[in-house]
Amino acid sequence: MSLFEKIYNYQMIARLEDAEAVAVTAQEREWLSAMLRRPEAEHAFSPSTLVKLRSLMNRDGDRAIDESEHIAEEILEKAASLTGQLYHPLLRPLREALTNRLGLQLTYAVKDGSVRMRQHGYPYKLEYSMVKREWYLLWFHLRRRCVMVTKLQNIAEAAEALIPAQQAEAAEKKMTAYYASKQQQAVIQIIPQFNRELSRILYAFSCFDKEVSYEESTDTYRITLIYLRDESDFVLSRIRFLGKRILVTEGDYLRKRMYEAAQKSLMRYGITP
Amino acid sequence: MARESFDKEIQFLRMLALTSGAYSRQQFADRLGISVHTFDKTMRRLKEIAGTAWQQPKEEQSLPLAELLRSSYYESADPVLLFLFRSKSVKESESIRLSQIIIALQRESLTAAEVLQQCCDGMPEDMAMPDEKTIRSDLKYLEGTGVIRKESGSRPHRYTADNRFITELSDAELSDLYAFIDVMANTQIPSVQGYLLRDSLKKTLKQRSIPESSFLYKYHYHSRILDESHLYTILKAIRERKKLSFLYFTPKAPQSYGSKNTNPLFERESEGRQHTTLPLRVAYDHQYGRWYMLCHSSRQGIAIYRMEGLTQLQESTAVEETEFEQKLQALQQKIRFSWLVDTGRTVTVKARFYHPEGSASNFIRERVRLQGQWGTVTEESDQTFIYEISVNGTMEIKPWLRSFGSSCEVLEPRSLRQEFIEEWKELAAGYEPVRENL
Repeated sequence: MSLFEKIYNYQMIARLEDAEAVAVTAQEREWLSAMLRRPEAEHAFSPSTLVKLRSLMNRDGDRAIDESEHIAEEILEKAASLTGQLYHPLLRPLREALTNRLGLQLTYAVKDGSVRMRQHGYPYKLEYSMVKREWYLLWFHLRRRCVMVTKLQNIAEAAEALIPAQQAEAAEKKMTAYYASKQQQAVIQIIPQFNRELSRILYAFSCFDKEVSYEESTDTYRITLIYLRDESDFVLSRIRFLGKRILVTEGDYLRKRMYEAAQKSLMRYGITP
Repeated sequence: MARESFDKEIQFLRMLALTSGAYSRQQFADRLGISVHTFDKTMRRLKEIAGTAWQQPKEEQSLPLAELLRSSYYESADPVLLFLFRSKSVKESESIRLSQIIIALQRESLTAAEVLQQCCDGMPEDMAMPDEKTIRSDLKYLEGTGVIRKESGSRPHRYTADNRFITELSDAELSDLYAFIDVMANTQIPSVQGYLLRDSLKKTLKQRSIPESSFLYKYHYHSRILDESHLYTILKAIRERKKLSFLYFTPKAPQSYGSKNTNPLFERESEGRQHTTLPLRVAYDHQYGRWYMLCHSSRQGIAIYRMEGLTQLQESTAVEETEFEQKLQALQQKIRFSWLVDTGRTVTVKARFYHPEGSASNFIRERVRLQGQWGTVTEESDQTFIYEISVNGTMEIKPWLRSFGSSCEVLEPRSLRQEFIEEWKELAAGYEPVRENL
């Protein structure tokens, strides 16, 4: 079966939706039953739901097993980061607090290793970084009135706590405003002599919100990146990753950091600039 | 009708996603090797599909497609390019019939005759009524996709759309299932089936008024799912030990697609090259979100293709099992030490890493541990550690080492160390602060 099937056609899907009907193909079920066999599933469901799901899948998709195990063998994954715990046990309770707009009482460790006990907060988002392979809780610290980003790995305890609707709303507004205010922009130019590597360079930036412009007369591409201030370090590592193929032309902070990195690197090699 | 190929749409969307708005219509069409007219037609069609598949508000529908792709990047875990897989064309009458059948079989099981009756009742007045033969062939198609199944028992057979794994779940369970599918589709490969399933469940959640909580995924390579469209053709060929023939456009070429013209008057020399090779493995590179097909070709031995350059993929002859095994082993031997897919000579790369200054957490050490693949780490001093790895060539590991900036000093091989020195010199010059007192 191909991924381009009549059954997936956009008009078909719209018709089914209007009639509140669902069409799930064998290959989708095969995918799901392969995922349900993985250890991550243990943390995603209550034990009874998992038993129920696995047996429901077995009833209708037996031929799945061989095929999906084959897939793992034929696809090689290269340069992947090691993944710690993909389905963190706190994902379920935190997600529930998020959807039900509940407050939280959190006990967590901070960078220097010390522990903060039972801090009151309001959850904003759960975010997974594909690069660090790590879950983060974005939340608002109610007493200190500031935005917090905490690794799920560092949270020792999370309990639900009631929060007045008004306070929740205010916290949410604060968070949204905070993230909007942290938007940064930088312009990266591709050095035309490396235009043959355009595809690779664009792929490397394809994980950002960006706009590309092309100037035909000089055969020059420019990428305008839009990112959050806290992401500067990751943006910089991407820029260093590509090295001399690109040049940051707008973005004083990034330029300054690149200059420092180059100077300091040369010193490591015993070269005084 | 000729077999529908989606090469044009795939190349089109990839270029749109990667270069978001950089090219004029003419420039875009030139790079795809199509006419401006075809460009406009394709754009209109893709917009229509995206519009229906996403159901965005009216004001957004007028935005250019490139903008639509962009605006969905943040604040949503919906895969922006999934609508590609919704583009298979279906005649209107067939689409109505098939959906009628699925709807009829949602809650009860019916015989073919009963299905026919319900379909006739549900057909719009101005459409021709289906006959039993058509319905039987529709049922056969749907059964083949697994959307419906034949119940066991005596004739006449009864059919049902088996969605018990959804209908038998409570609201809380369904919500957990949705979250699980969301996480797995977003973090694992292959992912398209997971995304399609996520789409269906999302609608079920809406119908049952269950709040949808979605997670955010940062730094996703959005165009990676486009390449999954070739994945199953390749996996099938690998399993059946069959060769594949295709027209290949190297990503370094300025053109990435060639229209297959039926009218010889308009035929242009396409810039792609025809290849026939034996596929052995597929590789996904997490550093860029790109896919590769690893093959054996009789002309050049091991041959590696970027999946984004493959068009007009077609199965060819099969080879003997022993031949396949032998080629596979040769490949595995060759790529054992590939950082990505380089099959060059194995060298030992040795680098000194410096702990971050003035930071409580040692994030350099942590990143090397997570991303350093099979390399080993040896403590050197309280400020440094040594990383050592045997790897095929230095080309592929170089960007990774360089991304650490001044926290990494390459020690060996000497040639790589020298390259780093030269490159940092160039970078220092490029980023030198501009003096404004001229």
